[in-house]
Amino acid sequence: MPEAAYGPGWPQRFSEALFSVRQLGARAWLALFGIAVGCAALVALMNIGHSAAQYARQLFQGLGSELLVVNLKATVEGDAPVRLQPFELPPGIRAVAPLAAGVFAVQFNGGSIETMVAGSTAQLFEVVDLQAARGRSLSAYDDQAAHVLLGASLAARLQVRPGDRVQLGSYLFDVVGVLAPRGYNPMLPVNFDDSVLMPLPGTRRLSPVPEVATLIAKGIDASTLTQAARSLERHLRARLMQHDVDVQLPRQMLEGMAGQSRMMTGLLAGTAAVALLLGGVGVMNVMVMNVTQRRREIGLRMALGARSRDIAWQFLLEALLLSVAGALLGAVLGLAAAWWFARVSGWDLALDARSLPASMGVSLTLGLFFGLQPALSAARLQPVVALRDE
Amino acid sequence: MTSIIALHGVTRRLGGEAVLQDVSFSLPAGQSCAIVGASGSGKSTLLNLIGLLDQPCHGRLVLDGSEVAQADADQRAITRNRLLGFVFQSFNLLPRLSVLDNVALPLSYRGIRLASARQIAKVQLEKVGLEPRAKYHPADLSGGQRQRVAIARALVTEPRILLADEPTGNLDGDTAQDIIELLTTLNREQFMTLLMVTHDPAMAQCMDRCLLVRNGGVFDA
Repeated sequence: MPEAAYGPGWPQRFSEALFSVRQLGARAWLALFGIAVGCAALVALMNIGHSAAQYARQLFQGLGSELLVVNLKATVEGDAPVRLQPFELPPGIRAVAPLAAGVFAVQFNGGSIETMVAGSTAQLFEVVDLQAARGRSLSAYDDQAAHVLLGASLAARLQVRPGDRVQLGSYLFDVVGVLAPRGYNPMLPVNFDDSVLMPLPGTRRLSPVPEVATLIAKGIDASTLTQAARSLERHLRARLMQHDVDVQLPRQMLEGMAGQSRMMTGLLAGTAAVALLLGGVGVMNVMVMNVTQRRREIGLRMALGARSRDIAWQFLLEALLLSVAGALLGAVLGLAAAWWFARVSGWDLALDARSLPASMGVSLTLGLFFGLQPALSAARLQPVVALRDE
Repeated sequence: MTSIIALHGVTRRLGGEAVLQDVSFSLPAGQSCAIVGASGSGKSTLLNLIGLLDQPCHGRLVLDGSEVAQADADQRAITRNRLLGFVFQSFNLLPRLSVLDNVALPLSYRGIRLASARQIAKVQLEKVGLEPRAKYHPADLSGGQRQRVAIARALVTEPRILLADEPTGNLDGDTAQDIIELLTTLNREQFMTLLMVTHDPAMAQCMDRCLLVRNGGVFDA
């Protein structure tokens, strides 16, 4: 028989290794668990990161890449609300709309819902791309009238249609339109789908001193938005001496999210690294014990014709099987963790196709690294010494 | 008659002390030979050297016409599988494998698939009268049955040399006699060279030849 054809076939090597791993019992579970925790952290890390990135991309598209939000805070108590009309626009800004918001009960047909009421100008429709799905939008002619538009979700919940009258505070307002669904935009203080929108002067009916705490602006060009933000900030500081002015760009918000995501990724990466290292040491520990307890078997196998490489493969495959089993368990746990995290965060889970091959690759490398030394020590045993072992 | 085992000036030292010193003898094919001597005289060391489980410090060892003393570990492993069969005093069966898989184990190192190896092992178990116990585990068998399984495992590769290290040392008188009869029958019928270490003079008398190991030398007794 040529030497190349000598030795057990791979199916037999695998089935023997599998059989031996099953015989390890509780010890195998301990080693496997360490690898599983590490792989779970790795899979969770990659999938959470991928989901976060996907969410951020969707958000960025939803935010509108030319949108700017200005937060205003009066530094002098009792200062009058900012006067914004007529507004002289600084360079790079296409339109600006003020926003005064408060929570009030809106009543219709016996139903009552506490919701956000926003006062603004007709420019708001251009700035945040609002459209009336039914009825009409607001115009300058509505400023002195008790006219409102309802967000799509709110109108559906109250079953309000254009032409109906809703009560806010002690006033009745005519519903002139229902907004088309807009979706949640985390940059804005108001979710328009669940809000009542009215002309800014109209908010005096609900609050004697309505405060414009936010300005929403739209830049002319997304590529020059940073410069536009600076010019807007300078412009506002010059005019609103008794207010703090803070201009926010969508990018800043995304950077904030990215920072949080990086921190989460760092924590998970640290957990994964420590757990994988401990798992690897666990595999090595189990394999060293395994070799020590099976020295006589190793000697016998050598007496029956096993070469050093046959013995080394036998123990290395056992270590690799332990690692792969740990990786499979870890992948399931990691996917479950990523799904849970995405759900809690309100994201859609976006699976990272690289996460499973990566976890398998890492676990096989660990199995190889930590299983090699025990396997080689088994292969280096002298048969006569191993057979003498009690 | 051609020598199947030949030692020329073989020396083996352990811990600086010569256990075997300048040992030379040869054994023709098909002969049965007992190795006797006091405890610690070097009987098992001699058997381990011939069985390629150990290596001499000096000298030449020729098995079936090939010089093997300086062969590398892989060549020795392959020669053990092809040429030699081992029967140990403590049986050395793997407790987690079935009787059938214990017997089939040496065939796996020849690259024979498990199903075929089991078929061959079954035939060998029939020869030692234990085919009905094929699915048992070693722990379910008596001492004599375990040694029969070990003999079946040694024979499954059809070796030319059978090495037995006190094969009846753990067995009662009747069972030991059965095992010796089995081994001598195999030696006669299959022309298999049998080399057996034993303490029992009665067992040694059943062999064609008897070698005495004493003071590091090997002499015909």
